Amino acid sequence: MKLQTLKSIIEKKKNKSEFAIITNLTTGESEIFEKNKQLSKEMETYSSQIEEFFKSKKNGVIENTEIFVETYVLPIKVIVVGAVHIAQYLVDFAKSLNFEISIIDPRGYFASEQRFPDMKIINKWPDEAFKEIETNENTALVALTHDPKIDDPALQHAIKKKFYYIGALGSKKTHENRCQRLKEAGFSDEQINSIHGPIGIKLGGRSAPEIALSIIAQLVSETYNRK
Amino acid sequence: MKNSFDEKILEEAHDWVKANQKVVLATVIQTWGSSPRQVGSRMIVNEKGDFSGSVSGGCVESAVVRECIGLIKDNKPCKKIEFKVSNESAWEVGLACGGEIAVYLEQVN
Repeated sequence: MKLQTLKSIIEKKKNKSEFAIITNLTTGESEIFEKNKQLSKEMETYSSQIEEFFKSKKNGVIENTEIFVETYVLPIKVIVVGAVHIAQYLVDFAKSLNFEISIIDPRGYFASEQRFPDMKIINKWPDEAFKEIETNENTALVALTHDPKIDDPALQHAIKKKFYYIGALGSKKTHENRCQRLKEAGFSDEQINSIHGPIGIKLGGRSAPEIALSIIAQLVSETYNRK
Repeated sequence: MKNSFDEKILEEAHDWVKANQKVVLATVIQTWGSSPRQVGSRMIVNEKGDFSGSVSGGCVESAVVRECIGLIKDNKPCKKIEFKVSNESAWEVGLACGGEIAVYLEQVN
C-alpha cells in the first residue's frame, strides 16, 4: 500500500466518511472507493461487485478474482446526557470501540474541558443541543443525570427520532416515575418500554467504572441486535 | 455487518512509518471453517519484528512476523500466505481451531 493511500484512509476515518479500500492482490495496487467516485479503469470492471460489498458493509475477496474489498463504516453516534463521573469512564471504554460520543450538559462546571479533554461537549440544554447534532435511528442515547429537567427532553427527542438504543440511569423507582411522566406527555407504552431503565446489563457492581462497563456492554449488544 | 470494534491499526502503522520504520500490513483476506478472526483483521510488523494487532488468536502470528521480515529483506511489495489446521507436530505453525485463513502481506511504501 502506498503511504499516500494510508494517509488518505486515516484522514477519511477522521472525517467520518464511509468508504472502501480496493486492493489488487496480484499487483499490490490499492485505491479508495467512495460513493459517486470514479474508479480506475482496471477496477471499473468490478464496480458492481464492489458496490455490493460496500452496501452490505462486508469485507472479502470478489469471487473468482484477486480483488480484495475492505469497507469502512461510520462510527455509531452516542449522545451522553450528563457530564458525570460515569461519563468519564464511558469515554475511556469507547476509545477502543467504534462509537463517537458527544456529551450534553447544561451545567458548565460538569462539562468542563479539564474533566473531558478532547471531547465534544455541548454546554446547552438538550432541546438546544439537539439542534446541533444530526440524529437518526442509528443514534444511541445514554441519559445519566437522572434529573427530569435534563434527561426527559433528551429521552423525548430520542423516542421521537427512533434511536436504536435509549438508556436512562436511575433506580427502579426513579424509572417508574420517569415512565409515568412520559405517559402523561403522551408517549405510548411501546415507546416507553423501548427505554432501557435501569440502564445497563446486570454485573453487580455499583462504582462509576462498573456502571460504565455495564452500559457499554448493553450498548454493544444492542448494536448487534439492530435490524 | 462489520463489528463496532475500531482497532486503529492503520493509524499505528502511520506512526511507525513516521518514525522511519519499515512497515508491512498483514490482513486476513479469506477464512474457511472456524477461524479465530474475521476477514479484515489486521496486524502490522516492522523490520525488527515488532508487531501490533492480530490475524488469529495467537496461533500464526509468529509465522506472519517471519514472513513480513522476509518481505522487507527481499524488498517485495506483497505476498499471500495461507494457514491450515495444525497437525500433531508441535513446531509446525497452524490453526488449532480447525479453520483456515489467507493472509495478505503488503509493504507500506
